[in-house]
Amino acid sequence: MKKLESRHYVFLGLFVVIVAAMLINVKLDIKVSAETQKMYDYIDSLPQGSVLMVSFDHEASAVPEIKPLALTILRHAFKKGHRLIGVSLLAEGTGIGYRLMQETAREYDKVYGRDLVYLGFKPQYIAAILSMGESIPETFPEDYLGRPYTQFPLLDSVENYDDVAGVISIADGSLTTHWIEYARARYGVTVTAAVAAVMMTTYDPYIGSGQLHAMVGGLRGAAEYEKLLKIGGSGRRGMLAQTSAHVYVIIMIIIGNVIYIAERKRKSGA
Amino acid sequence: MARKIPKIVCALFGVTLFVLFFSQHPSAKSLNLAILNEYFQIIFAFTLLVGVVSFVKINLKGVERGEDRPYRIVSILGVFVVPLLALIWGIKGDSPFMWVFENIQVPMQATVFALLAFFVASASFRGFRARSVQATILLVAALIMLISRSSIGDVIADEIPQVADWVRSYPSMSARRAILIGIGLGSLTTSLRVIIGIERTWLGGDK
Amino acid sequence: MALSLACCIFIPAVAWFEISKLPVLIFAVISIIIVLYTTFHKKSREKFKVREIAGLKAVENAIGRATEMALPILYTPGWGGDIQRPTTIASLNILSHVAEKTAQYNCDLIFPTHDPVIMSVAQEVVRESYARAGFVDRFKEDDIRYVTSSQFGYAAAVEGLITRLKPASIFLLGTFEAESLILAETGNIAGSIQIAGTDSTIQLSFFIVACDYTLIGEELFAASGYLSGDKSILASIRAQDILKIIIIILIIAAVIWVSFDPAADWWVF
Repeated sequence: MKKLESRHYVFLGLFVVIVAAMLINVKLDIKVSAETQKMYDYIDSLPQGSVLMVSFDHEASAVPEIKPLALTILRHAFKKGHRLIGVSLLAEGTGIGYRLMQETAREYDKVYGRDLVYLGFKPQYIAAILSMGESIPETFPEDYLGRPYTQFPLLDSVENYDDVAGVISIADGSLTTHWIEYARARYGVTVTAAVAAVMMTTYDPYIGSGQLHAMVGGLRGAAEYEKLLKIGGSGRRGMLAQTSAHVYVIIMIIIGNVIYIAERKRKSGA
Repeated sequence: MARKIPKIVCALFGVTLFVLFFSQHPSAKSLNLAILNEYFQIIFAFTLLVGVVSFVKINLKGVERGEDRPYRIVSILGVFVVPLLALIWGIKGDSPFMWVFENIQVPMQATVFALLAFFVASASFRGFRARSVQATILLVAALIMLISRSSIGDVIADEIPQVADWVRSYPSMSARRAILIGIGLGSLTTSLRVIIGIERTWLGGDK
Repeated sequence: MALSLACCIFIPAVAWFEISKLPVLIFAVISIIIVLYTTFHKKSREKFKVREIAGLKAVENAIGRATEMALPILYTPGWGGDIQRPTTIASLNILSHVAEKTAQYNCDLIFPTHDPVIMSVAQEVVRESYARAGFVDRFKEDDIRYVTSSQFGYAAAVEGLITRLKPASIFLLGTFEAESLILAETGNIAGSIQIAGTDSTIQLSFFIVACDYTLIGEELFAASGYLSGDKSILASIRAQDILKIIIIILIIAAVIWVSFDPAADWWVF
């Protein structure tokens, strides 16, 4: 059998910590950050019945992190009586987005066609974003289920970005950047985002410049949003696993440094 | 000639899209829409075909040679069976295609994504060492960020999330902005070289 | 469509030029003039030197190491880019240089990608580099391969290649997203020398931790000029520097202005 190296023990330790954290049901209290509050206030302050475009710009791999985020945003929007147009610019996000929108619509007794429509996937994201700026019905002549665009009352008055209050990009990668660089820069639409934690610092400069209006990110963002909505959800539950993993990594960094300093002392003493 | 025509097409479309950016006139919008919505999508469909043909060809050769045979057979089966499911039963709702997507593709992809957590742990263990003053500053910043993005930051001290926000908003963001400006300028000059025809790598080379 | 276009041309009510985009046009025109000047003005091209970049000096060593160990080189442009992306073009420029060397040293070059168009272009680039080196018979088309368009499918495929082939050197140059650390750590475990470079700012931190050399942002664009010595690419690096100086002056002016007049926002458009 191959001899185990230090990294194998690091991996094993992380696995044990996360599994243990998932088995324990402890609710951690968290404080709501200013950026999550801004996202909440943005959706909350829109007039009832506003049309929002929600774009599912993520792959299947990010579902465990993205789903709690997407659910909180959708729940808040439906709770406030907003109407939602769903699209997806990555093929793998299409089915997931449709399921999430249907699931939350049922929770709030929303009617498809009147309160929400899911237009589905369009390949070539930059082209799709620019094309919707010119004409959404020409970009998506049919909804996800193949019914004509003109059939839905919600879409009667929606021609392009001028007719939506804003775009919410739910992303695990850099696709939100394209919404900012093309939809915001060229057509002036308000762009907000719900993103994977690892991508948050990528968007910080856009938040600072105001090109990205608001952002909520990662499991922590989802947990904070759930707290604001006063609902339970997988965000708060996932926070325990995330916190445990973070503590584990901190301990690993400390151990690594202790070993490094000890070795350095040993070498300088020799 | 084989290189000249693509260069002319590239220059034409580059200049056209640049000019269209500055106009909201209906005819400009209409032309923009045609390029983005029709030409791009048609080209995209054909490129996928190129990929599939190449993928199948390479894996069939591998099967013939007996290299990783079981894996290659599964790959080839996947390429043909999944589209077939989509063609026969569609891709909506509870179709077999969606079943495959949700029960095979999603867990497999999430598994590979989850590997990232393990690699972050091992990279942190190996990489974050206080070798110098700069490395120590980086190490301290990393620890503050890790604590602030979990629930313990709030418990230990209110200042920790505030310090983390400061790190993100000022030192980190200013460095990131500088890099972004550099990248933007690099992209601008490369794009210009492509449009005016002095950058020929995308054609496969110089000749 | 032709009819609708013809009808629209005669609509006078909407202006052809959107005045709100005037600042963008001004900056674009200035940039174009500077790039054209540095590219085509002979004297401007001659007085110019690029500082040494450690990662690029290591390219030769990385290829030499692979040759000595009789192991392949793995080169991938990442999952995040397509052929329209300038970063991909810069990466293919570097590939051209690396391929010429691998042709000379008779070293295998494996290039997995997520994009069929990048695959086709890379095949042409490598074929031409092998021809330039005089060893076109050493070119293996199947080594430049499309794996999958799916992000983590691509990550798994490249990770598998690294684990099985144990390449002596790995080049991770292009646009990377969350797959970056998976690939870089796998390469680290395999004991490969790794040279990385990307325009994805978030992934740079991962590359810096896990790779031997990292090209930061625009260094990737400079790399192709540095390696090939191509005067037109070097000229565009100079153009970038001139534009950077203009931006720095504008930033300083805005900072001074806003210090005296906090309500000012003339630079926001």
